[in-house]
Amino acid sequence: MYEFLTGYMFWLSIGICLIGLLVQFVLYFKGLSWQLDRVAYKQYPALGFKGAARSIIRWMIPFGTYGWRKQPFMTVIFFGFHIGAVLVPIFLLAHNTFLKEKIGFSLFTLNPTLADILTWAVVVSAILFAIRRIALPEVRILTTAYDYFILLISAAPFITGLIARYQFGDYTFWLTVHIFCGEVLLIAIPFTKLSHIALFFASRAQLGMDYGIKRGGMKGKGMAW
Amino acid sequence: MFKKILFATSATPACDHAARVAFDMAQRYDAQISIFHVMGIPTRGYSQVVIDVKTGEQVELDDEYTAWVKEEVKIYYSKQLEKADKYTIEAVVGFPHREILRTIRKAKPDLVIMGGSTGDEEESVHKKNAAGSTLQKVAKSASCPMLIVSRPAASFWGGLSKVVFGTDFSKASDAAFNFALKLMETFNCELHIFHALDISSMHLGRMLTQDEIESKIRESLRMIRGRYINKIKDINNCSFDVWEGIPYVEIVKYAREKYADLIVMAHHTRKMDRADTRLGSNIEQVIVRAGCPVISINK
Amino acid sequence: MPEGTLCNKKPIDTDEDLKTLLNDTGGKKYYKEMKALDVDSGLLWNTIKNTCKSRMKTWLKICAHCGMCANSCFLYLINDCDPKQVPAYKIQSTLGEIIKKKGEVDNDFMHMAMETAWAKCTCCNRCGMYCPHGIDMGIMFGYLRGLLYAQGFVPWELKIGAGMHRVYRAQMDVTDTDFTETFEWMIEEYEEDYPGLTVSIDKEGADIMYTVNAREVKHYPEDLAEAAILFHLAGENWTVPSSGWEQTSLSMFAGDWAACKMQVEHVYAAMERLKPKRMIGTECGHAHRATVIEGPYWAGRKDGKPPVESIHYVEWVAEALRTGKLKIDPAKRIKEPVTLQDSCNYVRNHGLKDATREIISYIVEPGYFVEMTPNREHNYCCGGGGGFNGIGLYRPQRNKALITKRDQILSTKAKLVIAPCHNCWDAIRDLEEEFKIGIKWSFLKPLLISMVEVPEHLKPKE
Repeated sequence: MYEFLTGYMFWLSIGICLIGLLVQFVLYFKGLSWQLDRVAYKQYPALGFKGAARSIIRWMIPFGTYGWRKQPFMTVIFFGFHIGAVLVPIFLLAHNTFLKEKIGFSLFTLNPTLADILTWAVVVSAILFAIRRIALPEVRILTTAYDYFILLISAAPFITGLIARYQFGDYTFWLTVHIFCGEVLLIAIPFTKLSHIALFFASRAQLGMDYGIKRGGMKGKGMAW
Repeated sequence: MFKKILFATSATPACDHAARVAFDMAQRYDAQISIFHVMGIPTRGYSQVVIDVKTGEQVELDDEYTAWVKEEVKIYYSKQLEKADKYTIEAVVGFPHREILRTIRKAKPDLVIMGGSTGDEEESVHKKNAAGSTLQKVAKSASCPMLIVSRPAASFWGGLSKVVFGTDFSKASDAAFNFALKLMETFNCELHIFHALDISSMHLGRMLTQDEIESKIRESLRMIRGRYINKIKDINNCSFDVWEGIPYVEIVKYAREKYADLIVMAHHTRKMDRADTRLGSNIEQVIVRAGCPVISINK
Repeated sequence: MPEGTLCNKKPIDTDEDLKTLLNDTGGKKYYKEMKALDVDSGLLWNTIKNTCKSRMKTWLKICAHCGMCANSCFLYLINDCDPKQVPAYKIQSTLGEIIKKKGEVDNDFMHMAMETAWAKCTCCNRCGMYCPHGIDMGIMFGYLRGLLYAQGFVPWELKIGAGMHRVYRAQMDVTDTDFTETFEWMIEEYEEDYPGLTVSIDKEGADIMYTVNAREVKHYPEDLAEAAILFHLAGENWTVPSSGWEQTSLSMFAGDWAACKMQVEHVYAAMERLKPKRMIGTECGHAHRATVIEGPYWAGRKDGKPPVESIHYVEWVAEALRTGKLKIDPAKRIKEPVTLQDSCNYVRNHGLKDATREIISYIVEPGYFVEMTPNREHNYCCGGGGGFNGIGLYRPQRNKALITKRDQILSTKAKLVIAPCHNCWDAIRDLEEEFKIGIKWSFLKPLLISMVEVPEHLKPKE
């Protein structure tokens, strides 16, 4: 089982994830229509780029926009989840050891204590996300089973990862489950809302271009996100 | 001279005195009288809703409603209309001063007759955002003479036999004089020319000595002679005088003394500052106080 | 019933049809027929397939259901945080549903969608600024309005409004002759106070071509006079077109894209005929949005710009004050607490936040200007945007919406609100009428005229 998951399935799941995201990303931009969207994307590349960059970068900074500042708790939970959710899978020592085995080199690795803290943050934030969905009426009305499902498959690798890392119970079992959850997540990414991993940037870039070109970018300072 | 009279009315008691004069004149001079009534103020952006001027309620405008309002106006003036044979009734929607001016421009009447202000400016939010009442705004811009009857006392009118012309020697006053002269020639009435010497220290910044006042009076009398008297054919039918005092008070007193049927004055087309609207100019004070109708000329 | 006599999928194209619909006071018969109007699901789904592309599809798909848009929406806030007013919910339960069901929706649904699109959203675009994904629900509601209009589910006043643009190329039944005559009349009325005041109609190659809002011609012609006076005092070489003078677009509020195209092309034709250096519009937000911002795309212009450089009135005023074309008498500046309404359509949606503030720095005595909170791009809709002001059916909701702006104004303790936009001006007037908070409100033009210095050579000769 372990061999299967770390061999053939590893390549398949990573491949599906990366290619899937790339396809989504490219198809998104191909599918933009300057006339239907009413934004002259191609005519003003510099303004478009500047608008897109500002739109993306500001939202990637905790409390960097009016939106983040308006919802401080959500901002904390959000970044608590996403910082770890992005950094840990990519820069965890254990993952990079595995990677080195697979492809011959590894990436920068996180200090283990930091990795622990970040992973706990992910799990706690995921729980808070779930509570938020239940407790706040404005979120509850939007929430469907699908949202809980996404939250679950996103959190599962981190929960099982922690279990394995702290060696609760049968290590091999939990490690296998962890890898399985990870691969389920990877495969799910391009086909679910998790595609926002790429589409967040695409969508924000689009709105940034809209404001950068049509809705004020030519009039001075640009949108105050 | 008065063949086409436009009587702008709210069809309420506030315009009754003006109505009395209007219908009387129409009958006396065999004139066509157009009763013009602004029935509603547009209130809802680009939609068809108007605020009815009488009820203050919102109504949907359609042909039926307009016809009903016209009928109401007809009923209100039914007694006077019995004796009138050439009349029309029009009811429109818009801001009163604007619609009155619009119809003056289109219909080109010989005279517009209006009553005093119909209400407190604070009442309607629609009146709030513009300086000056309907009367002031129409008087400022009307391209024909405007007759205003503000008080009941000013409406008991027996025809034109004595006209008082108040002047301040301005260009606008010259135009008013020409009109007064025309009245004199057409109706063979007496014309009394008057100038008020403003001695209020507010105006001059200091008190004048009696000698100064009397020399100014002499000067003004000379000006009247030079500017106006030589244009009058029948000088037996005219007189002139200059009194010192607060202009509008003196004009009203002079008119009272001469038993005037009408006062003719120039309306000065000044920009209306919000601060000025309460005080009003001389003519506005005369309109409010005179014991006879006042005609305002601005061109 | 597929089509009623008044309520149907056919747009109003003739004066006769317009009058017929107008005579149905309040839309009584119109709304009655709407209760039986069939939904053309085929048309609906086809339209969506052809026009709902990457951007909107992704917006609907990628919404994380996070609810962060909720307290960015003034309608959500003013309706006691009713979850049904959460922008994401509003759009997902209407447009999202239509797409999920591939257009197979019924009359009741369309009524609900109509109310959501026209009474629960003013398309102020504020929610898009607060969504992490940058999902602009205001734009999606504009799109939804288009779908609903094509199906005949549009408020009565807007069906008429779109019809007006189709028949008169103006938002009201004002003809080209009405326009030119009214303008000339205004010049006559004011030329004594301002000797030399004229209007050149159809002058070619002028520096400025001025376009207006039809209601100025019909009910507020002083606005035309004031514009003429200010251009005159600033020494501008300006003109108005005898045709193509209307900048507004109720058809945009109605979702009648074909009429939007016709309307802006009419104005662009005037620009191409007269070849001015610039086109300047009157103080109106949606007019600028329709003709200058969105218009070029309806007309298929690749560069997204009108044929001639076009700026908003506040940009011209700021420039005129800055360059000294208009000089303000410092003694006549505003000396009472005053605040400024940021009109969504040219502040949030066109970045002109600084132009209006630059003007304030000239016309308000320092220390008297108080900003609203929030302000600039983050300011709230006046409460009457997107056509809300005029729709009788949704008047109560509109009146509730005014409370947001009322409270903002009250917190500033201002006595005067400067509102350089016809819709905002109307909304603030209505809020004063409704709540009587004792404020005054004004466009820029009358304020400027009360305090501008008249150059010597333009003063009336005594």
